[in-house]
Amino acid sequence: MLAYIIRRMGQSALVLLIVGLVAFSMFRFVGDPIDNMLGQERTAEDIERLREQLGLDQPFAVQYFRFLEGAVQGNFGVSYRQGRPVSEILLERAPATLELAAVSGILAIVFGIALGVFTAIRRNGFTANFIMSASLIGVSLPTFLIGILLIYIFSVELGWLPSFGRGETVDIGGWSTGFLTESGLKALILPAITLGLYQMTLIMRLVRSEMLEVLRQDYIRFARARGLKDRAINFRHALKNTMVPVITVIGLQLGAIIAFAIITETVFQWPGVGLLFINAIQFVDIPVMAAYLMLISVMFVGINLIVDILYFFIDPRLRVDRAGGH
Amino acid sequence: MTDIPEQGMAPKIAQKSRLRVFLDSDIYYTFKRSPVAVVSTIVVLILVLSAVFAPLIAPTNPFNPASLNLMNGFTPPMEPNAFTGDTFFLGTDDQGRDVFSTILYGMRVSLFVGVAAVLFAMVLGITLGLISGYVGGWTETIIMRTADVQLTFPSILVAMLIFGIAKGFTPVEYRDQMAIWVLIIAIGLSDWVQFARVVRGATLVEKRKEYVEAARLIGRTPYAIMLRHILPNVLSPVLVIATISLALAIIAEATLSFLGVGAPPTQPSLGTLIRIGQGFLFSGEWWILLFPAVTLLTLALSVNLLGDWLRDALNPRLR
Amino acid sequence: MSRALTIAALIAALAPAVQAEEFTWAETTDPQTMDPHAVNSAAVLGFLNNVYEGLVRRDKDMTIEPALATAWEPIGDGEGWRFTLREGVTFHDGSAFTAEDVLFSYQRASNEASDTRSWFAPVSEVVVVDDYTVDIMTSAPNPIFPGSIANWMIMDSGWAEANNATLPDKESGNYATLNTNGTGAFRVTAREPGLRTVLEPFDGWWGEVEHNITRAELTPIQNPATAVAALLSGDVDFINPVPIQDVARLQQDDDVEVIQGIEARVIMLGFPHEADALKFSSETTDTNPFADVRVRQAVAHAINVPAILQTIMRGNAEEVAQLVSPAMQGYSPALAARPAYDPDQARALLAEAGYPDGFSFGLKCPNDRYLNDESVCQAVTGMLAQVGLRATLDAMPVQNYWPELRADNYDMYLLGWSPGTFDAEHPIRFLAATPNEEKRLGSWNFGGYSNARVDELLPQIQSELDDATRQAMLDEVAMTLQDEMAYVPMYVQPLVWGTRSNISMTQRPDNFFILRWVTVN
Repeated sequence: MLAYIIRRMGQSALVLLIVGLVAFSMFRFVGDPIDNMLGQERTAEDIERLREQLGLDQPFAVQYFRFLEGAVQGNFGVSYRQGRPVSEILLERAPATLELAAVSGILAIVFGIALGVFTAIRRNGFTANFIMSASLIGVSLPTFLIGILLIYIFSVELGWLPSFGRGETVDIGGWSTGFLTESGLKALILPAITLGLYQMTLIMRLVRSEMLEVLRQDYIRFARARGLKDRAINFRHALKNTMVPVITVIGLQLGAIIAFAIITETVFQWPGVGLLFINAIQFVDIPVMAAYLMLISVMFVGINLIVDILYFFIDPRLRVDRAGGH
Repeated sequence: MTDIPEQGMAPKIAQKSRLRVFLDSDIYYTFKRSPVAVVSTIVVLILVLSAVFAPLIAPTNPFNPASLNLMNGFTPPMEPNAFTGDTFFLGTDDQGRDVFSTILYGMRVSLFVGVAAVLFAMVLGITLGLISGYVGGWTETIIMRTADVQLTFPSILVAMLIFGIAKGFTPVEYRDQMAIWVLIIAIGLSDWVQFARVVRGATLVEKRKEYVEAARLIGRTPYAIMLRHILPNVLSPVLVIATISLALAIIAEATLSFLGVGAPPTQPSLGTLIRIGQGFLFSGEWWILLFPAVTLLTLALSVNLLGDWLRDALNPRLR
Repeated sequence: MSRALTIAALIAALAPAVQAEEFTWAETTDPQTMDPHAVNSAAVLGFLNNVYEGLVRRDKDMTIEPALATAWEPIGDGEGWRFTLREGVTFHDGSAFTAEDVLFSYQRASNEASDTRSWFAPVSEVVVVDDYTVDIMTSAPNPIFPGSIANWMIMDSGWAEANNATLPDKESGNYATLNTNGTGAFRVTAREPGLRTVLEPFDGWWGEVEHNITRAELTPIQNPATAVAALLSGDVDFINPVPIQDVARLQQDDDVEVIQGIEARVIMLGFPHEADALKFSSETTDTNPFADVRVRQAVAHAINVPAILQTIMRGNAEEVAQLVSPAMQGYSPALAARPAYDPDQARALLAEAGYPDGFSFGLKCPNDRYLNDESVCQAVTGMLAQVGLRATLDAMPVQNYWPELRADNYDMYLLGWSPGTFDAEHPIRFLAATPNEEKRLGSWNFGGYSNARVDELLPQIQSELDDATRQAMLDEVAMTLQDEMAYVPMYVQPLVWGTRSNISMTQRPDNFFILRWVTVN
């Protein structure tokens, strides 16, 4: 058991190193930070001096090693653009993304499961079929367009909801939250829908097909034959048994939510880490980009590891052959 | 089953009968009875054909800059332009490009990227899935671990990484053709895992069956066994995944072009057209955004509906 | 009942006095630092002009007017300038402004670590005469010097020393990166980089207050559509810029107003004058057709600038034939005519130059630097194709663009130039002078255009005190550049601001947003 976990952690560390290397090698091609840091009246000499200061004249391997060295100690360097430690900036921005991700994740899970159960029970009903088809519209349009259309309808035409940003935030021990003010909550609605729509569709369809599968099983038929009420069968037995694969997928989708937050945050000017990353690309702020990518990979690899270890405890059978099913 | 000619015949017969099963019986019957499936198939066919034959259908070639007249810019649909008097079915965009032609050509780009990306993902996924399922051991661990990481690493980030790296390695002369191929590889790479997982799962099951055992005993190479015995058994789930992946790939391309890593504006895809069009959402030139968006929606929706139906029809157990 | 009415009346009477005039505005990018000497960019200097002040400043029509200096005069025969400083001025933290702060700010802003160093290239020494008199000595007569330091902002020496910020630190930042202490009309009360910056009026400001703002907040909004939506929905009071295509729509909206003007920025095409061969041609790989002036003239005649202005710029820009706009000092009115749009003449010129069938080449273009830059390049590509100049367009974000131009990876490129000094000498120094690292000339002359007469005239223009003689030399340079078609200037980019209709403000042609000219009605 312990050996298994240690081996998996070793593998995870290796994965991180590789992701870091790939990510880092990308930065050489994203562009040159120098032009953004110097004004119109710079000379070639200024360019060279700044390049030297930033260590950009060093060989690639040296730059990567230096970055790793710092990263291990939690030091991601200083943002070229803001001239502040990257870790400080990331901590400042993280609450916005996490709150947005949490709300859209919860929206996706609650509505996804509810609609999934509904469409499974009323398998051939008109409403259920309509929901099934309509949900596909949400995944047949790019996220950015959905966001822009929502802004157009609900902010510009109807004037109900704010068009950008987080509204007013309250600072609680370094964590800025938008949950405690009216404008903060209002500002959450459109971005959360934009971000959660895709995951909601996914969860809904998964719940539906799992439910249908389970409802076909013998023990459900047996329960029905025994005269148990439909409600009890549907919720106590069927739904419970669909939860394992659903939870797995939700775990995996957590990463997708954070990643797609990049687009939602850009459209809504949501001040989270995704927007920070896009801005960093724009200004070739290499330390910020590197830290963001490393953070994301640590998170994903971590989720993977936790899921694996959970599997180990929940169902030893899956330990050997877990990739087959879902 | 010992003489040579029979060995050669057996798989062919098996394949043929499977094909017949696939086309003739259940599938075709359910297809005919599902209006959604019929309609979406027709829509997909119309769209694909008009994209393929775009040069014949489109009134102008929007990819040829010399043919454009800037003064035709922003002509509303079905109304003559104030300066040139030209009329366009779906209007023109900011460059004076006929929106109808641009959509047809753009759909060509989108479909090409989508199909090529899915094919790439399919070939890669099937190969790796077969190998890891059949060979097992360390090979399997490495492949499936990579797949795990890949699955959690979001596709748009993968695409942006590849785009960044490819830009550095492509010689300057080839940069503008590069975009399309990078899109294909990027989207394909973020999509192979599903194929690999399904194929590996099926391979593990098939591997233990007697006919594979028999084929191995009579000295067939692993390559032949994988290709001719195992592969045909996993084709239907692969087909379902491929259909749904196609819709996803087309949307992914659109998303990437919003982030500035999509098809170039001189040879726009539907996604690029939507990115350009969204700039005119407030200014009143609704047709520049609406028509490409509706086309993309129709295309992706019909492919999705088709995939949905295929999934239920081919195998209710499959997700 | 009556009591309630009384209270209501009382509140109504009091309301104007206590009502907070809050003002929020959005720009595409956030000023990257609060240090006035660390980065020489319009986003930073424009914002900090509300917080810090220079010895002189620009008025609503760009004329130089007194700020921290009340008067200035040349010393002797052009040896320098004497500035008389304003008395009784205090910084936001209450400390007094004196000549020491000017000397300190000179040392800080002209240091190697500072991005504003080039402004002080003509300066040989700064001498404190007394507490309120400063002499700035120049190595050669410099008639435009006071105008060239309008953005040189004065920082409190004591504050900088106390906070370890005596030099700007671009690399890792210091106290002055996030905090300010100027003499300006507003002080920064909260700064969250990339999110918001809050300004409040400085009660101890020396000037006369024209605005009625009690609190102002700047938020960057990157996506132009989101910014327009924010203005339309009233979430912000002001956006800069308004996407050109949305001008008409915003003008129709009663709640919103569009303020338009002509910016100083000239958009032009550049050529690889020095290259031996084209880099991106499929057939013309051994010669450089753009070295031939006739080919460059053909390009100028092939481009239908009026059509670009009509459609892409929607009538919001003006044609230009020189490297500076008519609003700049030293513009040559006699040379205002652009080469006419004439595809036949373009073809004839190409045939004459030996390219009757044209040739293919690569056009580089930024896609997020100038207004609608990518669309303009697409249109240019189409127009050039019609005379046989088959361009392959490669449009890219600006962070990739400048390195590409520096590496000479282009056959033709798009460039916008806005003279920081508002004077015609500026583009000559940066774009037309033969590149010379040592003399810091031609640092943006990517194509290496070189003309001995232009190089000879430049230093004379820089030190000439007589306006007429100076203008004659500027005219000669402008004419030479036109004759040789060193660049193909196309149009002057417009300034388009959008405000809610209850706001009144003044737009300055350098695109600086000056908060003290804003009133909320």
